[in-house]
Amino acid sequence: MKINEQDKQLTKVRILAAAVDVITIRGFKNATMREIAKEAKVGDATIYNYFPTKEKLLYGYCEYVQQQVMQELKEISNFHEYTLQEQLQQLVETNLRLWLPAREFLQQVFELSFGAPVVGFTHIEETKRLFTAMVVDMLDAAMEAGEIPEQPYRELLPRLFWDYMTGIMTYWLKDNSEGFANTTQVIDRSMELITAILQTGMVGKLLDLVSFLFRTHIMAHADVLKSMTQAPELVSAKRRFMEGK
Amino acid sequence: MMDNALPEGKWARAGIVGSTALKVGLREVQHKVKRPFMSVERQQEDKQTLDDKNAQLIFNALTQLRGTALKAAQMLSMEVEILPERYRKELEKSFHQVPPLNRVLVRKVIQEQLGQPPEYLFKSFNDQAFAAASLGQVHHATLPDGTAVAVKIQYPGIHVAMDNDMKLIRKLAPNLPNPQMVLQSLEEIHARLLEEVDYAHEVASTQWFAEHLQLEGVHIPKVYPEFSGARMLTTELMAGQHLEAWLSTNPSQAVRNRAAQNLYDMMAISVRQLQRLHADPNPGNYLFHADGSVSLIDFGCTKQFAPEFVAILPELLQAFVMDDQELTLSLYRRLGMDHHPSSNTWYPEVLRPFAQWAALPLQASSFDFGKHSTYTSQARDIIHKLAHNTSLDKIANDFIFFDRTVYGLCKIFERMGAEVRGRHHWVSS
Repeated sequence: MKINEQDKQLTKVRILAAAVDVITIRGFKNATMREIAKEAKVGDATIYNYFPTKEKLLYGYCEYVQQQVMQELKEISNFHEYTLQEQLQQLVETNLRLWLPAREFLQQVFELSFGAPVVGFTHIEETKRLFTAMVVDMLDAAMEAGEIPEQPYRELLPRLFWDYMTGIMTYWLKDNSEGFANTTQVIDRSMELITAILQTGMVGKLLDLVSFLFRTHIMAHADVLKSMTQAPELVSAKRRFMEGK
Repeated sequence: MMDNALPEGKWARAGIVGSTALKVGLREVQHKVKRPFMSVERQQEDKQTLDDKNAQLIFNALTQLRGTALKAAQMLSMEVEILPERYRKELEKSFHQVPPLNRVLVRKVIQEQLGQPPEYLFKSFNDQAFAAASLGQVHHATLPDGTAVAVKIQYPGIHVAMDNDMKLIRKLAPNLPNPQMVLQSLEEIHARLLEEVDYAHEVASTQWFAEHLQLEGVHIPKVYPEFSGARMLTTELMAGQHLEAWLSTNPSQAVRNRAAQNLYDMMAISVRQLQRLHADPNPGNYLFHADGSVSLIDFGCTKQFAPEFVAILPELLQAFVMDDQELTLSLYRRLGMDHHPSSNTWYPEVLRPFAQWAALPLQASSFDFGKHSTYTSQARDIIHKLAHNTSLDKIANDFIFFDRTVYGLCKIFERMGAEVRGRHHWVSS
C-alpha cells in the first residue's frame, strides 16, 4: 500500500512537532523515540521510517524551520523590492519568530551542536545548506541589480552570515529583556554594519590584507617556525592531537 | 551615515554619560580651585558660566543618545530652562529624530501586536512612513472597509532602552543647576514617558477626549482599537497640515486668529472643565485646516490635574494680574510650593518678574502675539533666574505641566502672529 506524498509530509511534520514537545519537556538525553512516537500518534516502527535516529529528529526540525522561513519570505509580495539589508534582516527575524515556540528546543540543539562539534556539524549541514542558499540568492540578486559590488571570496560570505545567525541565536537564547527587545536592537544595528561591509566589499579587502601579511611575513618566517617545532624538548612537551578522545 | 548612528547598547551609552560626568566633574574642580581668589559677584558669575558649560556638555551627551534621552532632555529644557538658547534650538530641530524603522521592523511590530502581517490585516498598507512621530513613525493604510487610516508604529524595544536612559540622565542631574528640581522633574517626565510609550494608554486617552472635549473647531481622530496595541496605534487619517506647511499657504489674519483661539480655548477648557489636558504642545501634534479649525493628533502625553490645582489656578493667575504679593505667596503655599525666601529681594527680583510675564497676555481682553513676537524669549532669563535662585522645596507637578503647555502654545501663537483672547477664561472682570 502506498501512502501518498502529502500524507507522508503531514506525518513527518507531526512527528517533528511531537519531538519538539517531548524534547523540550524531557531533555534530549532522556527523551525516547517511543515517547515521541506515542506523542505523534504513530507506530513505534513507523517513526524509524521517517527518522532513523534521535539526532535526525533534532536536526530534521531545524531543516523544517528553514523550509518554513523560505516559504514565508516567498509570501511577502514585495520582498524583491526590499533592500539587501532588509532582506537579510527579514531572514534573521523570520528565523527567530519561527523558532520562538521551540526556543527551549533550540537550546538543546545548541548544546548538542556546540558541546560536541564534530557530531553537531555533520548533522546540521543540511540546515546550513538551506539557510545559506537563501543568503546566496539574496546576495546574487543584489549584485545583479548593482546594489552591492561584485564580492570577492563570494562563497565565503553566506558562510560568514550563517556564523552571524548562529551568534544572534546564541544572544537571543540568553536575552532576558522584555519581548527580546535587546536582540531586535542588536540585529537592527549590526545589520547596518553588515550592509556597509558588503557595499564597500570590505570582506575581500580585509582578506587581501591578511593574505598579503601572511605571505610576506608569516611564510617568510616559516623557517623559524620549523626550527622551533623541531626542537626536541618541544616535541616531547606537546600533547598528542585528540589524545584520549 | 556614521554621524547619525545611534550609539549602541547600554554600555556605549554609559560610556557617553561616563565621559560627560567626568568632564563636568573636572570643570567643577577647576571652579572650586579658582574660587578662593574671586569676589562674591565674580564667583556667582563664574558659577553661571560653569553651569552653562555643564549644560553644553550634557546637551552633547544627550544628543548622542537620541531616542528617549533626547525627548527627556527636551521636556526638561522646556520646564527648567536649563539649556542655553542655541542648544534648545538644536533640540527642537531634532525632536523627531528617532532612528527610522525599516520594512522588517514595521512588519515585526505589526505581527507581534496583531498576530498577522500587514497584508492580511489591511486592504492596503504603505510600508514607507509618511511622518515621524515621537519615538516612532506613521504609515498610511486602508482598513478592509475602505477607511483611510494612519498607523503609528513604535520603534521596537524603545521602552526597554528608556529605563536605561532615564537611569543615566539621573546620574547627570546632580551636575545641573538646581538638581533637586531637575530630579523631581525627571520623575514626572519618566512617568509621562512610560505613558507615552504605552499606546494602549493613548487609545484610551484619545477616546476619552473625543467623548469629553466637544469644541467646535477642534477635531479629535477616531481610534480603531482592534487595529491597535501597546506598540501600534491606528486612527482615522486627519486632513490638515502641520504648522509650517499651513503657514506657507498664507492663511489670513482672521483664520490664524481663529486657529490660535481654538488651541487656547481647548487648553483652557481642558484645564478648567475636564481637569485633564493634552499636555504635549509640540507643533507636530497639531494639524491645521484652511478654515482655522485644528486637529489634535497625539494624545500620548496627557495630564490629569488635581481638583485643588484647578480651583486655585484662576485665583493665582488673577493674583499675578493684580500684582498682589501676599495673595500670590499664599496661593503658592496652598499649591504645595512652599518657599523660604533667602532674602527680601527674592519676591521682587525673582518671582514677581515671572508673575508679571505670565500675566501679560491676560492684562487686556486679548493679546497680540504678532506685536509681542519676543514674548516667549523674554521668559528665558526670567525662568532661568527662577530655576537658579528659587528656594522652593517642591514645585507642584500640575503647575509644571500647565506652564509647559501654555509656554508651548505661546510659541506657536508667536509663529502664527495671532491675536488671542485668554483673559475671559481666567479673570472674572
